[in-house]
Amino acid sequence: MGIQDRLIEDVGLRRGVSRLTPEKIETVVRSVMASEAGARLKAYSETCMRCGMCAKGCHFALSHPDDPSYTPAAKVAQTMGVLLKTGGRVDPGTFYGIAQLAYTECNLCKRCVHYCPIGIDTGFIMSMVRRICHKLGVTPQYIQDTAHSHSTTFNQMWVKDDEWIDTLQWQEDEARDEFPGLRIPLDKEGAEIYYSVIAPEPKFRTQLIYQAAAIFNAAGVDWTMPSQPGWDNSDMCMFTGDFEMMGRLKRRHFESA
Amino acid sequence: MQPPTLWDWETGQKVVLASIERPENCAWVEEPTVSPDGERVAVLASLEAGGFTALVNGEPWENSFDKVWQPRFSPDGRFTAIVQRDGMWTVAVDGQPWEENFDYVWNTQFSARGDVVAACIQSGGEYGVCADGQPWENLFANGSQPTLTADGKSAALVVQTASLKPADLDAFQAGVFSVAVNGQAWDATFVNCWTPEFDAQGAHVAAQVRTTLYDYTIAVDGRIWSESYDCMWEPRFNPATGKVVAPVRAKGAWGLAQDGQIIWEPVFAQCWHQVISQDGRNIAAIVAPAFGEFTVAVNAKPWSIRFPEVTDLVIGRGGERVAALGNKENAEWRVLVDGRTWPGVWDMAWRPVIGPDGAHVAVKVEKNGRQSLLVDGRPYPREFDRLCDPVFSPDGAKLLIRAIDKGACVRIVADVAQA
Ligand code: SF4
Ligand code: SF4
Repeated sequence: MGIQDRLIEDVGLRRGVSRLTPEKIETVVRSVMASEAGARLKAYSETCMRCGMCAKGCHFALSHPDDPSYTPAAKVAQTMGVLLKTGGRVDPGTFYGIAQLAYTECNLCKRCVHYCPIGIDTGFIMSMVRRICHKLGVTPQYIQDTAHSHSTTFNQMWVKDDEWIDTLQWQEDEARDEFPGLRIPLDKEGAEIYYSVIAPEPKFRTQLIYQAAAIFNAAGVDWTMPSQPGWDNSDMCMFTGDFEMMGRLKRRHFESA
Repeated sequence: MQPPTLWDWETGQKVVLASIERPENCAWVEEPTVSPDGERVAVLASLEAGGFTALVNGEPWENSFDKVWQPRFSPDGRFTAIVQRDGMWTVAVDGQPWEENFDYVWNTQFSARGDVVAACIQSGGEYGVCADGQPWENLFANGSQPTLTADGKSAALVVQTASLKPADLDAFQAGVFSVAVNGQAWDATFVNCWTPEFDAQGAHVAAQVRTTLYDYTIAVDGRIWSESYDCMWEPRFNPATGKVVAPVRAKGAWGLAQDGQIIWEPVFAQCWHQVISQDGRNIAAIVAPAFGEFTVAVNAKPWSIRFPEVTDLVIGRGGERVAALGNKENAEWRVLVDGRTWPGVWDMAWRPVIGPDGAHVAVKVEKNGRQSLLVDGRPYPREFDRLCDPVFSPDGAKLLIRAIDKGACVRIVADVAQA
C-alpha cells in the first residue's frame, strides 16, 4: 500500500494540481532546497537507516499496524524522498499524493523524533513538504480557508473584530448571573495574566470562555483579554506552509500581549 | 480642556482625587484612567441599583447605561466610553451619547488635538467608521484596522468589498479587500490589506498589501509599488518628503525600501517599527543583525548593544534622540538611548518619552510592583502604585507626573533639571 492507493478528492488539492506542470514543481522544489532547508534535509535523507524505530512513536503508524506505508520513514520516502530523488521533477498526479500525505497523514507532532536513534525529525521534513505545497498552491480546501481567515482577521474562523468583543461581553454577562461581580477585563494594562484562546472558542464553544472567567474570578487573579485582533493563539498558516503569514500572526499575538 | 501650553505647569503637587475607592452606591469600579493634563481621573462603575456609569473625579455621569466599556480620554480631555442601551451601542462623550446608535461600536480613535472622536461601527452586519456621531454613508461587508488623520477629518479602514462564500478559495485569492477612505473604497482590491497609514497632511494613504498569496508590496491610494517582496511590514510616510518607507524582505533578509527602492540593504534577520524624524533626515528601526539578537539601527547603522528583544522605539522630533527598550524574555528590561544602555534593570519599562526639544528623555519603569520614572537616566526620587506615561511641557523644561498612590490620584509638575 502507499498514498497513491488511497487518494481522496479534495477541491483545494485538485484545484492546485490542475495548474501544475513538472517544470513548475521542479522550480519550486529547487528554490526551497536552495534557500530554506537543503542541507538539513539532505543530511536526514542520507542518514536514515530504515530501522523502523520511529514507527512506535507515530499514532498514524500505530493505528495502521498492518500497513508500513504509514510509518514516519515510509511517509518521508513517499514525499520528500521522491522529491529529492527526482530533483523535484514529478508529474502533477504524483504531487497530488505527496500533498495529500503531507497534510493528512502526518500532523507534525514530532513524537517520532524522540524514537529515532539519530534524531531524524520527520515532522520538520513534512513541514518542508507542506512548504513546497504552499508555494505551489496545492493545499487542502478547508485548511487553506483557515489560513485565509488568519491573514484577514488574525484568527482562524473568520471571527470579525466586533463579534469577538461582543462574545466576551455576552459570556461576562452570562457568568455574572452565576458569579455576581465577575469581570472579563479587556485590555487591562499591566495585568499579571494575558489570556488568549483559539477561534473555535468564540465561534462554537463560548462556554469555555465563561468557564475560564469563572476560574480566574474564583482564584482572584489579575487577568485580562485583548479586545483587538491578535487574541487567537493558533496559527493555521504554520500548518499550510505559509511561513510569511505565520510570522505576521506570531508578531501580532506577541505585540497584542 | 485647554491645549498643553495652557495647562497648569506650576511646579508642585496636587491631589486630584483623594480616594479612588468604590463609593457606597457602586458594586465595583474598574481601573482608573487619567486625563492627558492629569486634572481628571475616571473610572467605569457598576451601580448597586443596576447599570453602569462613569465617575469622573468622583462625580457620576448624569446618564447610566446597560453596559459601558473602553474608557478613554480624548487628547483634549473629554472622557469617552462605548455605551449600550436597549441592546444598541454608541459612544458617550463626557456622559452624552451620540444620537446615532449601532449594532456594535469599538475601537475609539481621536484626532491629534482630540477635537474629533471616531469609532468603528457595525450596523445590520455592515461595517464602517462613525466620527462625531456621523457614520459613513457607505458601509462594507467587513472592516478593521481604522486610522484617523491628525486633524480627524478623514478616516481609513481596511474593508471587504464583496461577500465570500464559505471556503471559496478562488474568490478570496481573486482579492476582495481594499482600503476605504471616508467610506470610499479604492478601485483596486487585493488578497489582503494591512495597516493603512495617512501622510502628515491626511491626503494620502499607504497600506501593506498582498497581491497574491506570495507577493507583498505597498499600495499608496490604491496604486501598488512596481516592486514586490517576500514579506513586509507597515509603511510610514516620511513627514518631510511624503515618500513611503517600509521594511521589506528580499533574498531572505530584511531592509528598508522607499517608494519601491531599497534604501537600507536587506542584511538584517529582522527590521521593523521604523520611525522617522520630522525633518525626514533620520530614520531608525528595530533590527536584528543576527538571528535572535536585536538592536536599533539609525540610518542603516546598527548600535553595538544587543538584546534578545528590543521594543518601543521612538525618535525625537528633530531626530537627534533615539530611544528604545531592551529585554530578555519579558524580564530584565533596560532603557536604551542613543546607542547606550542606561544603568538599572527593571521588571518592566514603558515606551520612552522624548521631550519636544530632544534634550531630555523620561521613562516609566517598574520594580517589585512599584512604579517610578527615570529622567535622563536618573531615578526620580519617589515611587508610586501606578503611573501614567510622563508628559513634557511644551518648552521641555517641566515634567507632568500623573500617578495613583495610596488610593489617591495625584498630579505632580517637576522641573526636569531637578527631577
Ligand atoms: S511527526 Fe508525523 S510522522 Fe512523526 S509521529 Fe507525528 S504524525 Fe507521525
Ligand atoms: S527511526 Fe530514524 S533512522 Fe530509523 S527509520 Fe525512523 S527516521 Fe530512519
